[in-house]
Amino acid sequence: MSPTPFKKRPTPLAIAIAAMVGLSFGALTPPAAAQQDMKAAIKKMQSLNQTRGYLDAHKSVKKPLGLLGGPITIKLTQNSGGVFVGLPARRALDPTVFGPPKMPRHYAGSPIITGVPPMLRAKAANGGFQTKVLTPFGNKHIVLPNGRLKISAVDATATDAATTKDKVKMVASWQDKKGNTYQVKCCAKMAAHGLEYPTFGGVVTNVIMHGFTGIGTPLMPSEFAYFAFWGFGEIDMNGKVLDKPRLIHGMLTEYVRKQGYALGWDRDVTPTRTQFHLMVPPVKPDMKNGVFRKAPVKTGFVLPNGKQLPFWHVMFETLNVDSTRG
Amino acid sequence: MSTRHGVDRRRVLATTVAGIAAFGLTGCTTKLGSLFSKTEPSAPSVTMTDELVFKPRRVTIRAGQTVEWRNDSVLVHTVTADPGIAAKAADVALPADAKAFNSGNVKPKGKFSHMFTTPGTYRYFCIPHEAAGMVGEVIVKP
Repeated sequence: MSPTPFKKRPTPLAIAIAAMVGLSFGALTPPAAAQQDMKAAIKKMQSLNQTRGYLDAHKSVKKPLGLLGGPITIKLTQNSGGVFVGLPARRALDPTVFGPPKMPRHYAGSPIITGVPPMLRAKAANGGFQTKVLTPFGNKHIVLPNGRLKISAVDATATDAATTKDKVKMVASWQDKKGNTYQVKCCAKMAAHGLEYPTFGGVVTNVIMHGFTGIGTPLMPSEFAYFAFWGFGEIDMNGKVLDKPRLIHGMLTEYVRKQGYALGWDRDVTPTRTQFHLMVPPVKPDMKNGVFRKAPVKTGFVLPNGKQLPFWHVMFETLNVDSTRG
Repeated sequence: MSTRHGVDRRRVLATTVAGIAAFGLTGCTTKLGSLFSKTEPSAPSVTMTDELVFKPRRVTIRAGQTVEWRNDSVLVHTVTADPGIAAKAADVALPADAKAFNSGNVKPKGKFSHMFTTPGTYRYFCIPHEAAGMVGEVIVKP
C-alpha cells in the first residue's frame, strides 16, 4: 500500500509549477496545453505563503527599531584556498521538514524558493522523496580555485521595514580552471523587507534559518546563521558586468555538508564548524505583487552540457571572522 | 728460507689483520646501516585532495618515522589530531603518551610533516572538512 497522494500522471498544475522552476535549469518544457494553467497555478501557491500577513505589517514601517544592545559590525574574509560551487541537482527531502506525504509541510510560496508543493515531490530511488526538478540545493558540486571573500557589514535594524540602517559591502571572487575570474559584488541596496519571507532589514545576526523556519528555502537544512544578508548587487566575469541588479543572499552558518560533501538534512548539521554560502538565485523579485519571478542568472559559467549555469551557489570554508557590538 | 718464511709470515699476518679489519668494518657498517634505517627512513607521504580525502586514508610506519602531507588540491586543508578541536570524538585518537598536533592551514601546493615517536594509533582530521568525512589514520609500530 502506498501512502503517497502523488499521481502518476502530472496534472496541469504540476506541469505549470514544474515549468516555472524547471525551465531555469533546462529540465522541463511545458506542453502548450499547460501554458494557460501556469499563471493561475503559481499565483495560487504564492497566495498560500504564510508570511504574507507579517510582511504586510512591516513593509511600510518608516522608523524601524534598532537592534537590542546596538549595531553589530561583522568582518568576514577568505584570503586563500578554493570554493565549492553547487550544480543543478534534485534535492532529497528531509521528512522532518517536509512532513509525510499525507501531511505535507512547506508547500506554499514560489516553488523551490519558499516551498515544494506535493506535486513537485517524487519518490527517490532510496525510498524517500526528492524534488522532481533540478534545484541549486543538491549534492552535485565542483571545486574551483582562488576563492577570495571580503565582507564588511553592519546589522543595525532589527525588523523588516520600509527603510534600514543595515549595510553590506562584499566582493567575492573565484576562478575556473581556464583562468576566468567570476565575481559577485553587493550591496548597492539592501532588501529592507522581505518578499516571501522576512529579511530583518537586510542583515540579520544570530538566528535560525531555512529548513523548518520559513526563512529562506526549506530545501536547505534548518541551520543557525551567525550572520546573513539580502541585497542587490552585480555579477561579473573577467571584470565585465554580466547581470545587474541581482538579488544576492549570503550567510555564515553552521556546517551543513556531510560525507562526500553531500548536502545534509537537519540531523546532519555540524554546530561547531562554519561555512559561508553565497547565493544568487534564478529568480527576481516582483515588488508590486510581492512574489518572485523566474529569471536565470547570467553567470557566464558554462556547464559540460553547454548550457550556462543559471545561478551561483558558492561555499567559502577557509574563513576569518571578526565582529564587534556597539 | 727464513727470510722467505719471515716474509711469508709478515704477508700472512698482514692479510689476516686486513681480513679481520675488513670483516669488522663490514659488520660495523651493517650495524650502522640498521640503526640508520630505524631513525631516518624515507618519509611516507599522504596526499590531500579536492575530493576531501587523505590518500591513502591509512599509513603504517615505525616509531621515529616522519609522515609528510602534500596538499595537491585547490582548497586549504589541515592535519589535526587534537581532541579539543574535533567536532566528533570518533574523528580523533592518540596513544596515551602522545601529544596532540595541528598543522594549521596548509595552502594549495603546501606541505606539512610530523615525526611519530610514540607507537599506537593516531586518527586525525581536516578542520574545515571534518564533517565532510576528511579523516585519516597513522598506525605507528614499535
